[in-house]
Amino acid sequence: MKALNKASTLRWCQRNLVLTILAALWIVLILVVVIAQPSIFSGATLGSILQFATLLALVSLGQALVVLCGGAGIDLSVGGNVSLSAIVGVTSVQAGLPPALLPVVCLLCGALLGALNGILVARLRIYPLIVTLGTFYLYSGLALCLTDGAAQSGVPAWALPWGRGMLGDVPLPFLTLVLPAFVIVAILLSFTSWGRWIYAMGFNEHAARLVGIPVDRMRIVLYSLCGLLAGAASFVSLSWLGSGRPDAGVNLELESLTAALLGGIAIFGGKGGVSGVFAAVLLLVALKTSMLQFGINSVWQVGVVGLLLIAVLLADRLSSRVSQINGAR
Amino acid sequence: MVNRKSLTSSLSLSGRELTLACVCLLALVVFSLSSPYFATVDNLTTVMRNSVELLLIGLGMTLLLAMGGVDVSVGVVMGLAAIGVGQLLNTPLDPALTALAGPLIGILAGLITACVVVLGKIPSIVGTLGLYGVYRTAVFALLGGQWLSGLPATLTRQLETRLLGLPVTVWVIVLAYFMVWLALRRTPFGPHLLAVGHSPDKARLSGIAVTRVRFITFIISGALCGLAATFYVATYRNVEMTIGSTLALEAIAAVVLGGTSIMGGHCSLLGTVLGVFLLRILQNGLLLMGVPSLWQTVVTGALLLLVLIAEVATGRLKYAPWMMRLKRRQSS
Repeated sequence: MKALNKASTLRWCQRNLVLTILAALWIVLILVVVIAQPSIFSGATLGSILQFATLLALVSLGQALVVLCGGAGIDLSVGGNVSLSAIVGVTSVQAGLPPALLPVVCLLCGALLGALNGILVARLRIYPLIVTLGTFYLYSGLALCLTDGAAQSGVPAWALPWGRGMLGDVPLPFLTLVLPAFVIVAILLSFTSWGRWIYAMGFNEHAARLVGIPVDRMRIVLYSLCGLLAGAASFVSLSWLGSGRPDAGVNLELESLTAALLGGIAIFGGKGGVSGVFAAVLLLVALKTSMLQFGINSVWQVGVVGLLLIAVLLADRLSSRVSQINGAR
Repeated sequence: MVNRKSLTSSLSLSGRELTLACVCLLALVVFSLSSPYFATVDNLTTVMRNSVELLLIGLGMTLLLAMGGVDVSVGVVMGLAAIGVGQLLNTPLDPALTALAGPLIGILAGLITACVVVLGKIPSIVGTLGLYGVYRTAVFALLGGQWLSGLPATLTRQLETRLLGLPVTVWVIVLAYFMVWLALRRTPFGPHLLAVGHSPDKARLSGIAVTRVRFITFIISGALCGLAATFYVATYRNVEMTIGSTLALEAIAAVVLGGTSIMGGHCSLLGTVLGVFLLRILQNGLLLMGVPSLWQTVVTGALLLLVLIAEVATGRLKYAPWMMRLKRRQSS
């Protein structure tokens, strides 16, 4: 009985190599911190990790949805989307829009930019990688051009608690935006027909079309949702930094992709869940924070994230081969 | 049916190059009329000189896209090679030897990329995105937070010596183009590459060493990036932190503009050359008309998307083979 348990655990680890790696990385990180610098463990550190994780969590959730729905789905433009939505929000307030509408503008702009990606991918059937690479440069370039590269002030004072407020040690945007978003998407994926559809089209698009799932419409909705989450992230960045920065979303595409894949979303879609993404986002931010605490220059962060991405892709590849072999047996 | 299809596709290919040449000419005429500074010998030489790196990287990117791959780390690979060349220039080494260091580093980087992407069997854009992060950090770490500047002009002078009335630079580029053309059109490697781009499964079944073809393509692209780095250092004589950050987009845009299919399977080297010139002429002309240089990225990105939409509209990209390909991979 015990041996059987052990064998099945081992098989689970082989099949879900990425999640195993994620768990191992968490354990290693915590051990290293405990041994080398236990003073990091405090409510304040937790608060700052959650604070930094807010942007990445929102964007990674959208990225995870887009990758999950298959068809080589990917959104490289999320970083540009965050920057451009933030800039559009601030400049429209500067231009005389009632400040109360700031979050609406951010969300709307993000969703529209995402919908543009979705339409190009699903309706025109262009390769998502190339489309979103083009829109990435388009959006981030526009964000730079509209501001000449300077940070834009003009965020209304009432919005600031949305980014900086704390409830105990937990930042407010984390409670009000990230947790609800993750819970809603988790429920959506597990208990609604939309969730079934997303997994079905990610697993086998042809079969999904044959059983009558509106694959193209779903895909546009998912890209828009990804954009909407990027818009929410842009609002958080506005109220956190107190100004609209054209570089608010730099490197987010790389980090969100790494977080989504490290969280167990298969790169070809149809497999994975939201809780893994949540753990992966926290791991990435905790890793970056502890690297800073250990005095490692922040330029190493992007390299470490890149290395993680490659490692996770290789592991994903390996575990899908293992499950194929097991399936054949 | 098949005959007609291949006939029209070959016609539209040559038509594409003709159209591009006409658009280039049109852009030249429009910009000469709108700005008195555009049609001067100095300015046109600048345009040509600015095209050199993109031209070389674009040739490699053409092969990659035709093979059904892509590399978004080309700009940073050029940066790494440029740092190597720059550091060697500061030593008393013969400048001709330092020029060779660029392609060598490029080949090394191409080898790493190929190992990760081809042997790891991961989608090339995601794999190279990861490598982009790694290389970017390497560039930051090697430069140590400051520009590599004030490099000696020895290499520059050597590349400007004239051979049969033309600078060495021109000869090197013509040679590079000719070599790539030779490999693509006059050796078995070319048809193999296109077959892999068209359908890796069918290529494997017909006995093509798919892995080897992919490997060689990534290495050629890396070598061309390294060669571009040599010219970059010779021209600008400094290496900045953000070197090559938009080169990948520009290269992909130029190649797609030139008529190479992003799905792989067919390519046009002449189209790429024309695409590069069109891109650089547009950028230069807009700059002279008073459009800030920040807009260049926006224009390039918009141009890429517009060309893709136009290809869909004319039916060249109608049925996405990537969906078929993925389906097969999942069902197997």
